Amino acid sequence: MKGFVSRQISKFAGSMIVTPLVALLLIFVVDFFTIPGFFDFRFASGQLYGSLIDILVHGSPTMILAMGMTLVIATGGIDLSVGAVMAISSSVMCIMINPSIIGLNLADPQFIINNPQYTWAPLFLVFTVPLVFAVICGLWNGMLVAYWHIQPMVATLILMIAGRGIAQLVTNAIQIIIFNDTVAYVGNGFILVPFAVFIVAGVFAVAWLLTRRTAIGLFIESVGINSRSSYYAGINEKRIKLVAYAFCGFCAGIAGLMVASNLRTSDANQIGLYTELDAILAVVIGGTLMSGGRFSLLASCIGALVLQTTITSMLSYGVPASAIIAVKALVVVVVLLLYAEQIRTYGRRILSKLSAQQPAAQESAQ
Amino acid sequence: MTSITAPSTWMAALTRKRKYLPIGSTAGLFLLTYLAGVFAFEAMRSGQVFFNLFNSAPFLICTVVGETFVVITGGIDLSVSGILALGTVISASLLQQGWSPWQAFPVVLAMGVVFGLAMGLFITYLKVQPFIATLAGMWLARGLCYVISDAEIRIHDHTYTTLNQTKILIPGLADPVAHTGPYITYLVAAALVIFIAGLFILHLTRFGRTAYAIGGGAGANEVSARLMGLPVNRTKVMAYVISGFCSALAGILYSIYVNSGNGKNGDGFELTTIAAVVIGGVALTGGEGYLAGSLIGVLMTSLIQSLIQYNGNLSSYWAYIFIGALMLLFIGIQSLVVAWNAEVIGRARSGGKLRKAPVVWYKRGFVRKAAIAFVVVVVGIGGFEYGLPAVFPSTTTVACTSQAMRPDQAKSYSTDGAVIVLERNGGTGCIEEIIAIYADGKVIADYGTGNSRNKTVNVQADKVSAELVKIDGYRWFTADFFDANPTRCAACYSYSLTVTYNGQTKTVLAVDGTTAVQAKYWNITGDLVALLPAGLE
Repeated sequence: MKGFVSRQISKFAGSMIVTPLVALLLIFVVDFFTIPGFFDFRFASGQLYGSLIDILVHGSPTMILAMGMTLVIATGGIDLSVGAVMAISSSVMCIMINPSIIGLNLADPQFIINNPQYTWAPLFLVFTVPLVFAVICGLWNGMLVAYWHIQPMVATLILMIAGRGIAQLVTNAIQIIIFNDTVAYVGNGFILVPFAVFIVAGVFAVAWLLTRRTAIGLFIESVGINSRSSYYAGINEKRIKLVAYAFCGFCAGIAGLMVASNLRTSDANQIGLYTELDAILAVVIGGTLMSGGRFSLLASCIGALVLQTTITSMLSYGVPASAIIAVKALVVVVVLLLYAEQIRTYGRRILSKLSAQQPAAQESAQ
Repeated sequence: MTSITAPSTWMAALTRKRKYLPIGSTAGLFLLTYLAGVFAFEAMRSGQVFFNLFNSAPFLICTVVGETFVVITGGIDLSVSGILALGTVISASLLQQGWSPWQAFPVVLAMGVVFGLAMGLFITYLKVQPFIATLAGMWLARGLCYVISDAEIRIHDHTYTTLNQTKILIPGLADPVAHTGPYITYLVAAALVIFIAGLFILHLTRFGRTAYAIGGGAGANEVSARLMGLPVNRTKVMAYVISGFCSALAGILYSIYVNSGNGKNGDGFELTTIAAVVIGGVALTGGEGYLAGSLIGVLMTSLIQSLIQYNGNLSSYWAYIFIGALMLLFIGIQSLVVAWNAEVIGRARSGGKLRKAPVVWYKRGFVRKAAIAFVVVVVGIGGFEYGLPAVFPSTTTVACTSQAMRPDQAKSYSTDGAVIVLERNGGTGCIEEIIAIYADGKVIADYGTGNSRNKTVNVQADKVSAELVKIDGYRWFTADFFDANPTRCAACYSYSLTVTYNGQTKTVLAVDGTTAVQAKYWNITGDLVALLPAGLE
């Protein structure tokens, strides 16, 4: 029994989630001593309120994006287009609710405003069609990267630039306001904790089952480490990449729906702006190497929480919201320094020097 | 190694000159597009239109020069927009504190150099991915903008006005006596000086040759360059320093162009810059491409925007889609050249015999795949716009079918001497109004012939003239203002604003509730509402 526990502990200590978890706990400890009431919960009308809940709400789109991005980065790629795909999916969703701007004669505005049940297309299509479009976007990226051998950064840059144009094309550059209550519930609803948390849990469950209960996860890591030898080992490396990018598009679609629902509007210029960078940063904090290979979905989620917790604490300290982006930059710098090979080697050298001195000191004492 | 025996066909000649294919196709496509525009739009036939491609983007030329250096060494620089914004904010805030522009400019340039140096050192010595390091640089720079000032800082400086408005006439094309004809601005001249300096450094110095040697080959070339004893680290750091310098200079030019410093300036500018570099035929893998190509890339992006403005029916977002499509095209051409290189080298190694060509995108059913992709996109968009309405027919009707615009009526006010004519149409109240403001302060509100709400009132004449100066200050008569009138939503308004000032008259259409319209348009309509007496909004 003792052996089992110590084995589990050493397994945990060697896993990827340790570093981001320690970082998260460190931030929590600092917050505990410096921000009064950071861990307070209030319970009102069946909902929990508090800073931790805020972190979960605002961090959930990044967590979902980070999961998709983890798989793409694990194959040795990168997806810069997730922000644009978010904009596309939110535009498609809004136009499914209220397509009056594409030349249809629809209900008068007052009717739509006063009728929170109104959607133009059936509700299940309102949610599924945007996701289909998001997956098509992901497949497009995957096709360019896997089958046309275009560098991932360049291939996804195309959709990153064109995607916002496409998103505006869908709604004719008009911001459609969401009056439907069911749609608004996705981003604003509560079942004790925010509904967004359940979506994150659902996506995580799907991604975990897909990668850890089938061989796909192993294949993704193998392709990321060496795509040529994976090919010789009989893995269809192109299809694996395609799956990874499609899943990333799917995640971006869900994140887009959540953000649009939270804001109650489709704003193709603002939704998902710079979120691709947040997602990549979350993955980097989670410890997945940008060169591909070993990955951990949970570590990336915790990475997203580290990012969001830093931002929330900075806002609590009174840093203006517009200057938060500088804080993010400092987080990047710290993470880069922690993970940089040079610094790690230097640290290791100091450690080994210390451990070499210790026995020497003991010997001299004897 | 046997030399390649050239077959006597044009194909062989093309093969020998294949490195010029990307820049050649950029230039060719630019010429074709320009000619097509000249044929389609009469307004494009003046020479000034060509020079306006430069005049509308001097800062883009600057950033593209720096970005080209970085991309050629195999890196990427996302920080250009952040450093640009920080440059505008620093110069504006220094001017606000009473510095002279010539004192402020060196500070801004030094800031750019420091940023570039820091990012270069991170990338070179800590082996950080360029993408991540420059991303941190962009965020830091943008964050610092808001630390310096949360709000926009307007610049009121004589030197700025002079630099912004003085025209440099093109010798041979313009009339120097009457001071008319094609011109460029000082900003463009400064950008072109940087461009020429960049040409010299990249193509005629050791540093430039080293930059080419480092890039490309998926990192292998960098190793070779190191083994050859080239100063790889120094060159890479220098490339980022140059890019930081160019971005800071672009920030100065931008602050002169818009007469303000703002942390929101140049949002998404790094993408435009990278797109222009790619369209210009520079390979993002590094080691291939020409600075001149990047300049054509800038002209191409400007041209796309001009064409969309001249067309008038397309919204500004089409520019993104066209630029994305062009990028795809040129990335395709780049990979064609790479595959071609591999084939030629393979042939040379096997003693003139053609070895099995590597897997390239243009073989293996490329046409079929491209066709499938095209069909997916067309069916996706088309199905959305036209298919779904057929499947789910609409059941209700629009409450407000507003009257059509009355452009003739508005124009008659304008020819009658009204300096500002604002026409507004639609909305929840289904209105159709024309408000004509005369230079002497007379205001006519016209809601249609015989409408009981029609009336004539007076405002102060000096307020009208002040408003006209303000509108001109927003650069109303430049390409900054263009028609953006997509189909409006049911509760939205359509606008048509005609301004006459200093012998120039220009009408710009707009629709509210959309992001396609320039933000400055709403500043003007807001000013006009404030100008009018109560009961006339």
